[in-house]
Amino acid sequence: MTGRVIVITSGKGGVGKTTTSANIGSALAKNGHSVVLIDTDIGLRNLDLLLGLENRIVYTLVDVVEERCKLKQALVKDKKNPNLCLLAAAQTRDKSSVTAEQLKKITEKLKKDYEFIIVDCPAGIEQGFQTAIAGASEAIVVTTPEMSAVRDADRIIGLLEAAEGIESYKLLINRVRPNMIKANDMMSVEDVENILSCQKIGIIPEDTGIITSTNRGEPIINNDKALAGKAYLNVARRINGEEVPFLDIDEPKDFVGKLKKFFSGLGKGKEQ
Amino acid sequence: MRALYGYNAGSAIRTTFEARKEKYMEQFLNENMYIIDLGEVNSAPEIIFELSSILDKDEAKNRRICLKLGNVDLNQAQILSIKSLINGIDSTLSSIDTKSVETEKVALSLGLIVSNVSAENVSGIVPTPEYKTAEELKEEMQTPVENEQENIEETSNIIEENQETIIEEQPVENTDNTNAEETTEQQETVGNENVIQFTAAPEKEDVQDELDVIFGSEPVNGNVFEMEVPKEIYEESEVLTDIVVPENEYTKEDIELEGFPTKYIKQTIRSGQVITYEGNVVIIGDCHPGCEITAFGDITVWGILSGIAHAGAGGNQKARVRALKMNAIQLRIANCYSRRPDSLNTVFIEKTNSFTPEEARIINGEIVVFKIND
Repeated sequence: MTGRVIVITSGKGGVGKTTTSANIGSALAKNGHSVVLIDTDIGLRNLDLLLGLENRIVYTLVDVVEERCKLKQALVKDKKNPNLCLLAAAQTRDKSSVTAEQLKKITEKLKKDYEFIIVDCPAGIEQGFQTAIAGASEAIVVTTPEMSAVRDADRIIGLLEAAEGIESYKLLINRVRPNMIKANDMMSVEDVENILSCQKIGIIPEDTGIITSTNRGEPIINNDKALAGKAYLNVARRINGEEVPFLDIDEPKDFVGKLKKFFSGLGKGKEQ
Repeated sequence: MRALYGYNAGSAIRTTFEARKEKYMEQFLNENMYIIDLGEVNSAPEIIFELSSILDKDEAKNRRICLKLGNVDLNQAQILSIKSLINGIDSTLSSIDTKSVETEKVALSLGLIVSNVSAENVSGIVPTPEYKTAEELKEEMQTPVENEQENIEETSNIIEENQETIIEEQPVENTDNTNAEETTEQQETVGNENVIQFTAAPEKEDVQDELDVIFGSEPVNGNVFEMEVPKEIYEESEVLTDIVVPENEYTKEDIELEGFPTKYIKQTIRSGQVITYEGNVVIIGDCHPGCEITAFGDITVWGILSGIAHAGAGGNQKARVRALKMNAIQLRIANCYSRRPDSLNTVFIEKTNSFTPEEARIINGEIVVFKIND
């Protein structure tokens, strides 16, 4: 088996790289694929927290690199989905403890046993970024519809094009607010696409449920009601080659609005 | 996972679950139970309002109070405020009966007893001793004890499923076998003396806190342990048959630990910080999640311990980890490993003035956390 190595990157911090990694990884595993998530954000690890696996980590990526344990020992199985594994970053070290070649070796090994290897990249364009993209052949660039994030994404795409080994990259637009786009306060998805001239793989609406799911350590794809969860599930299907229409994140809001109007109308009728 | 019950210093031995149950039933009969039924109240502020009006009555004072709640979700702060309300009138919150899973979780994390008292006849307030015969009460009291047992079994099942995730190899090399044998001998001898001492001085008052549920742990090799319940002895001594858990007396290795150099740190240990020392470590301050403390001897934290603590890293099985609030993601002592139960994964620990100090040590090859109820 030759697995696909996908790096999730963004340049700017706080746009949702880790959330995206956790959810895409869980969604792929939910669809029956074997997935390894690698956290390369050494020193500022969060991926374990989002998956609720914090208390299970004994060995980390750095331990594997420094040969204190075998690769298999460091893979932490997910609580819910046995197809999903996490290779956590060390919290007590820094980015210089793993080099690009070392990570490449690890991804090459994992490729043989797993269908998808998702690498969560740290923010920035320094050594941590260079390490994270080393083993990857595909990239997902996460951005939000803000000028600063788009500018950084542009820089990252430039670096990805120059990097060896990255064959394709796609754009994922996170934290989209349809209401603000309507009011012309936010760049639309099309605007972002045009600026970056890059094909999109997903649009994720802003969802307060993300905060709750992060705090609970449960990816939002497990929440059937959350729109963001549905969007991430669609992204996972698109990664797998399916053609899935983009979620119309605008529509449900209108529908809710209509419902509200409908019910408020009923209420008034009764009162009268 | 293994759950134990807190007990008074120096007076615990293992007995069967049945014997313990009988013991507690007698205990409950002797004490003043007082059930407050708020099953039909639907919001937290109302509960506190109702409760404060009930607690104003004289009959609620100096009692063991069993609080019956409905579907309301209470958070940690609310339960703590209820607890302090009850403590304010010289009563103790003995147990909570709730239908809400959230409340149950929080109550368990606070070390309260969660039970389902099947008091069908109860409506409003019932001061039990006056209303019920001993027989009836006995029937009632059987239910909570069994339920607790079930709860614990459920959690251990969950852990069992997760066993695969634990890494096969133990993180630390094996310890000296000869040393371990010596220790067991010493444990037995010193322990017996200890029991004799404590049977001579029975203290009924202290028994109240002993049902505090404390989280235990599982070692790397992943066996799920049956619950072993230490039982305190007061007055009668004929049950002195089983192995005695040693308490505060000093063994050879303890003295060795005392001989270790000690590092004294007066600061908050934050995420990513590592403290390694070939001796004992004393930290005055909190240890945040993501930090790692490794010591050859004991680790004592005067604050909330939330990171990873590894005591006795050189292989000393007698090493202990102490903290005002034990919330460690992982506890490691010598070559034993344990992780925090998923049921205790709370977003953060609220800082209050009412922490009960906790201590972790190895008992029969597994790490057990005790509350220190003195």
